[in-house]
Amino acid sequence: MTDPYEVLNVPNTATDEEIKKAYRALARKYHPDNYHDNPLADLAQEKMKEINAAYDAIQRERSGHGRAAPNYGGGQTAAYQEYTGSSQGTSAEAQILYQVRWAVMMGGSLEQAERLLAQIPESRRGAEWSFLMGQVCYRRGWVDEARRCYQAACAREPGNIEYRSALDNLNQNRTAYRPDGYGMSSTCSGGELCGRLACTYLMCNLGGCFYCC
Amino acid sequence: MFGYVRPSEPRLSEEDKQRFRAAYCGLCRTLGERHGLSAPFILNYDFAFLSILLWPPETGTVLHRPCLAHPVQGRDCFPQNPALELAADCSVILAWWQLQDALTDPGKGKGKYRLLSGLLKNAYERTVRNRPNFDRTTREQLERLRYLEQAGCPTMDEPADTFARLLSGVSDEVKEPVRRRVLQQFLYHLGRWIYLVDAADDLEDDFSSGSYNPLIRRFSLTNGTLTEEAKETLALSLDHSIRLMAAAFELWDFGVWAPVIRSVVYEGLFLVGRSVLDRTFHTAVWPRSAARNKEKL
Repeated sequence: MTDPYEVLNVPNTATDEEIKKAYRALARKYHPDNYHDNPLADLAQEKMKEINAAYDAIQRERSGHGRAAPNYGGGQTAAYQEYTGSSQGTSAEAQILYQVRWAVMMGGSLEQAERLLAQIPESRRGAEWSFLMGQVCYRRGWVDEARRCYQAACAREPGNIEYRSALDNLNQNRTAYRPDGYGMSSTCSGGELCGRLACTYLMCNLGGCFYCC
Repeated sequence: MFGYVRPSEPRLSEEDKQRFRAAYCGLCRTLGERHGLSAPFILNYDFAFLSILLWPPETGTVLHRPCLAHPVQGRDCFPQNPALELAADCSVILAWWQLQDALTDPGKGKGKYRLLSGLLKNAYERTVRNRPNFDRTTREQLERLRYLEQAGCPTMDEPADTFARLLSGVSDEVKEPVRRRVLQQFLYHLGRWIYLVDAADDLEDDFSSGSYNPLIRRFSLTNGTLTEEAKETLALSLDHSIRLMAAAFELWDFGVWAPVIRSVVYEGLFLVGRSVLDRTFHTAVWPRSAARNKEKL
C-alpha cells in the first residue's frame, strides 16, 4: 500500500492537527461537488478514496484502534433517481425523452442522446426536450447553449423546480475549489485586480519573432 | 495559437519563471533544429504551455546555448524531449492549416500568407508523416469551422467546439491512459477558451471587415463592442471552461510544472480574459512588454 503520509503530503512527524489540515485541504480539492457532471468524476472519486484510506490508516496507527475518517463523500456513487418529470405518458416522444433522460443521468453516450432528441419534430419539442438538450450541452461543456436551453425549458414550464434549479445552478457561477491564496474566481468579478494586470504577466509575445525573454 | 495563455507572475518563484523561460527557449530551439530556420516564426507561449503539459516525468537538465536572437549571451533552454517535439510538430501542423485557410479566404492580402506558407512547406511535409492523426484532426476541425462560418452559425459553443476538439486531439499522442484522459479534458477546455477569447479580441476588426465572428450572431450585436450583459454571459462560459481545466489539472501530478500550470488555471486565464473583455489586453500588456523587450535585447 502507498505510504499514507505520502498520500496526504505530510511528513510522518506531522502533528495530528497538521494531518487533519492536510486531509481537509485535499478533501476540499477532490470533493464530489467539484466534479459534479464532470467526465473525470471517477478519477476524483479514486483520489477521494485514497485520501480517506490514508487518513483512516494514520488515525488507526496513531490511536491504536479503528477510527473511521469523516469521509467526505469518497464512496459516493451517482444514484439514479426515478424519473418523475412532467412529460409522462406512453407516446413515442415520451419514450424517447425517457431514454434520453436515462442516458444523460447514467453518463451514457451524448451522441446517442442527441440523435434521439433530433427524432422529435420541432413542433413537438416541449420543456422536457429543452431541458434534456440543455443537459447534453452541459455535459459537453457547452455552457452557453445549456443556459439557453434551460431558459427555454423554464419559460415553457415556469413551475418546474428541476429546470429552475438547473438554470440557477448554471447562472450562479458556483464557487469552485481554489488553492490557498488564490482569490480570483471569475473573469468578470470586481475591479480590484484590473490595475494589477499590466505588471502581472511573466512573459510577452512579439507575434512570434525570434525572441526569448 | 495566439499567445493568450500566460502564467500570473507574482505567483511564481524565480526558479519557476526561469524554468518556464527555458521551456519556451527549448521549444524555439526544437522548432529550429527539427523544422528549419523559418519555423521559430510560429513560436508562441501557448505552445510552450502545451509542451509543459506534455512534459516527461524527468525534468531534464537546462543547457546554456547561444541562439539566433541572443548569439552572444545565449539563453538557458531545455534540450529536445518528446514533449517539446510534439508541441513543435503540432504548432507546425496548425500553422500550416491556418495559412492554407487564410489563402482560400476571399478578400484578404495573400502575399504574406504565400510567403509563410512557402517557408513552412518542407517542415509541414516532414511533420505530417510523424503525426498523421493530429494532421487529420486539425484539417477536419478547421474544415468544420469553415463550414460553420459560411453557414453563419448563430451559437458560440459549436464553432468553439472545433478548436477545442482540435487541441484535445494532441492528447491522443499521450500513452498513459489516466494522463491522456486528464489532458483530453484539459485541452478541450483550453481550446474552447482560446477560441472564445480570440473571438472577443477580434470582435471589433471582424465587425468592421464584415468577417464571421460567433459573438456577433450570438449576441445580435449592432456594433463591434460587447454590451455589459453580453460580457457577463461570455464570462460565464470562459469561467466554466477555466474551472474544468483546474479540476482536470488537480487529477494529475505535473511535477515541477505544477506551480506554472496552477498560476495559469487559477489566475492567469481570468486576468487575460478580463483584459480582453475590457479591451486592455493590447494597450496595457503589449506596449509594456515591448518596452521591456527592447531593454533586454
